[in-house]
Amino acid sequence: MKTLLPALIFFILSTDLMAQINVQGFVTDQKGQAIIGANVFLKGTYDGASTDENGYFSFLTEENGEQVLVAAFIGYKQFELLVDLDTKPDEIRIGLKEEINKLDAVVISAGSFSAGEETKREVLKPLDIVTTAGSSADIAGALNTLPGTQTVGEEGRLFVRGGSGNETMTFIDGMQVLNPYNSTIPNTPSRGRFSPFMFKGTSFSTGGYSAEYGQALSSALILNTKDIPTQDRTDFSIMSVGLDAATTKVWDKSSFSGKVQYTNIAPYFNLVKQSLELEKSPVALDGNFAYRHQVNKDGMLKFYGNFNRSSLTSILNDIDDGQIKTRYQLDNHYYYFNTSYRDILNDKWSVKSGFAYTSGKDIIGINEDEVVESDNGIHLKTTLSYDASSALAINFGGEVFHRKHRQSFSAPEQGQSFKLGFEGQLLAGFAEADIYLSNKFVTRAGARWEYSTLSEKMDIAPRLSLGYKAGQNGQFSLAYGQFQQTAQNDLVRVANDLQPEKADHYIANYQWLTDKQTFRIEAYYKDYYDLVTFDANNLNDPTFYFNNGNGHAKGIDLFWRDNKTFKNVDYWVSYSYLDTKRNYRDFPQGAVPTFASSHNFSVVYKHFITDIKSQIGWTYSFASGRPYHNPNEPGFNASRTRSYHDLSMNISYLWKSNVIFHAFVTNVLGIDNVFGYEYGTQVNNTGQLNRRAIRPMAPRFIFLGVFITLSKNKSLNSLPNL
Amino acid sequence: MLNDRNMKQITLTLVLAAFTITALANDKYQKAMLKNIPSVYAAKTLEDHQKVINNLMRIAEAEADKWEPYYYISYSYIFMSFKEEGGGKKDQHLDLAQEALDKGVAIAPKESELITLQGFIHTARLSVDPMTRGAEYSSVAMQTLNESLKLNPENPRTLLLMGQMMFGTAEFMGDSTAPACELIGKSLDKFKTFTPSNPLEPQWGEAQAENALEACDK
Repeated sequence: MKTLLPALIFFILSTDLMAQINVQGFVTDQKGQAIIGANVFLKGTYDGASTDENGYFSFLTEENGEQVLVAAFIGYKQFELLVDLDTKPDEIRIGLKEEINKLDAVVISAGSFSAGEETKREVLKPLDIVTTAGSSADIAGALNTLPGTQTVGEEGRLFVRGGSGNETMTFIDGMQVLNPYNSTIPNTPSRGRFSPFMFKGTSFSTGGYSAEYGQALSSALILNTKDIPTQDRTDFSIMSVGLDAATTKVWDKSSFSGKVQYTNIAPYFNLVKQSLELEKSPVALDGNFAYRHQVNKDGMLKFYGNFNRSSLTSILNDIDDGQIKTRYQLDNHYYYFNTSYRDILNDKWSVKSGFAYTSGKDIIGINEDEVVESDNGIHLKTTLSYDASSALAINFGGEVFHRKHRQSFSAPEQGQSFKLGFEGQLLAGFAEADIYLSNKFVTRAGARWEYSTLSEKMDIAPRLSLGYKAGQNGQFSLAYGQFQQTAQNDLVRVANDLQPEKADHYIANYQWLTDKQTFRIEAYYKDYYDLVTFDANNLNDPTFYFNNGNGHAKGIDLFWRDNKTFKNVDYWVSYSYLDTKRNYRDFPQGAVPTFASSHNFSVVYKHFITDIKSQIGWTYSFASGRPYHNPNEPGFNASRTRSYHDLSMNISYLWKSNVIFHAFVTNVLGIDNVFGYEYGTQVNNTGQLNRRAIRPMAPRFIFLGVFITLSKNKSLNSLPNL
Repeated sequence: MLNDRNMKQITLTLVLAAFTITALANDKYQKAMLKNIPSVYAAKTLEDHQKVINNLMRIAEAEADKWEPYYYISYSYIFMSFKEEGGGKKDQHLDLAQEALDKGVAIAPKESELITLQGFIHTARLSVDPMTRGAEYSSVAMQTLNESLKLNPENPRTLLLMGQMMFGTAEFMGDSTAPACELIGKSLDKFKTFTPSNPLEPQWGEAQAENALEACDK
């Protein structure tokens, strides 16, 4: 026993005396190119080495017997090899396989512009939305500076690639939003109801989008709300158009944010003359709240609610006789509620589930007559994602939409009244697989199934996208898909059993991206069919409604963004060419719709001037003439307005770390833009019908505001918002 | 037959042996770390950093309960991100720094040095795109550094990073840099008296604090 201790000590020390074995070899990639800096070592030991510029490694070890040799390098699959150190190993040659790495890999990019704080391949950041001159801090306003959109000044909505404003669907956290724009009177632009401040990421797709998103013929605007904020804060804004107050409270695992905004444009309209006669200027009260709860490590529960009340009264003059005036009164009530939950179940499965409720009601008084339109929607959706491997991901789910629309009209003086409406469900299912053949080549294939209880018809719409990465920064993409959308309320409420309208998208795209520069060119062809037609003389007779309209849109979009060439300067240039024609609604023949202009061009310029702590932005937009129908001339929609020009500017001045002044002016040059013409019904003494131009309410809009943030950490300000 | 005396001997021998093995093993760990730590600070090129990261990665994987290797791996990736060109690459290296740090924090959740390094990662994220990330990351970084200070109010690196963050913000805003400089001065005082409790602990920062203080005097 006395010999035990020295024996043990000898045994331990003897390891130092044992023979050292040299392990050496080369590490290359699949093509035989040397990998420099790979870590080659014996598993569970310190023994190993990094490969040199020839991919060569060599190290000494005192281990013996069978050992696992590991070769590891970022971006490659870890390689393991059993080696027997007792028989002196030969030079070891290791070929590492590339790993599918979502950061470096090709991405599906045909048709889509994504904007997020954290995504590395963003085109527009959330901050960009509000600092774009001419956007008036409106999401649609900023996206209108991207290619694929058409300027339609009297609408304020997103018109994408020859599609009408209704063909763009808005989704918040994956859930559908009905009526995402404020109600306005005819020929005055509306604004989005949702503040860009709420969202951490925006994805704007101008075609070819995922099977997960349905009920959109032309475009999907996908907005993702922020997660739990980092600290308590309170914000106040005093603006030339109203006031708002917002507060955020953060707890350990949850947070609450709330905002109330009061808008009253009367003081501004009293100062700056508007072409529209208003008996009561627009007044709105808007509130929203958001509650977030981190349920577990990856589980996030979100509630979001919004309410809005607005009203205005205007006096419209008759085109033929200025003495005849129509009193037009509009009251709008709007509620939106959305709850969503997402969680990662394990390293293969994750789930997203949501519920959304929209309720909107317009009460329109036209002299003594009253029209009430209400729209209620419920949307339920669950999506499951399965990551089979780094090369294959499957996304599938199901959703239910319930829609109820009512319109009632009453004209007490004439003793007339009628009610129209519809109520029905839409069931949908979707499945899609992302297949990475390598870091260079990806395919997304899927389909969407829909069944409507109103049309009693089932449809299956295939979708397919391909991406090929050509070099470090360049990428080619192709996309094809069938898209469908229930016809608009004004049509379905008369003819309940109308079939969905459809469009096929074909897109080819090339994109070149570096950290500070982006170039994109995209060509597309869109085939519209099953569009609804009706007879204007038999508006209320469902037997005159058919799904036999059709059309096409084709064009090229170009985009260039650069914030590298000039210091503190960021600019982008967009150009869209559009060739479209359709025969739908009550068109007598195939024609270019009034919202489509052939050429749209815009330049956005932003300059941060450090010395005066200010950001200055300019935006120039151009649109070629839009069609309008001139009943004094032969043909349909055959006349063109003059082209549209707008130069807008804005300035944000950081006065203190928590106080920002912001101002913007649209149409600085005061150019007289005409969006189209309306015609009277009586022939005047020259034998022509009288006309009136549709113009903006005033040549310019000027906005002034001060934004104040109160928080424990003074460096926090509205800048990330503004 | 084993008697009591034999039993005692065996026990003693085994205990001694166990101690010896542990001591030798620890010695091996310490020796390996002490060999690599100077290379962490001395690394000039991306290749230098990658090499020492590889060395430390081997130690980290062999020693499941040691946070120090992950600390220095994370620290090295942060410096690699500083040397990379382009926001995408910088962010990728910061992702790797974060990954290593998370492993360290899983081993030693209350280690002030690790939390401070988390603050450093946030600061590095901010510097990738100050215009967009400024407000968000400055607030997150300050929160993290405050957390670290609660764990160890004496940590000079925490104070230095806080001071630098405040300095940058104040300079951008055109506010007084005096409070920031006071903090940097305080951190330098702590550096002068700081004695690491073991030789593997981080020791960087004093030179940076001196430089930062010089900028204050200008």
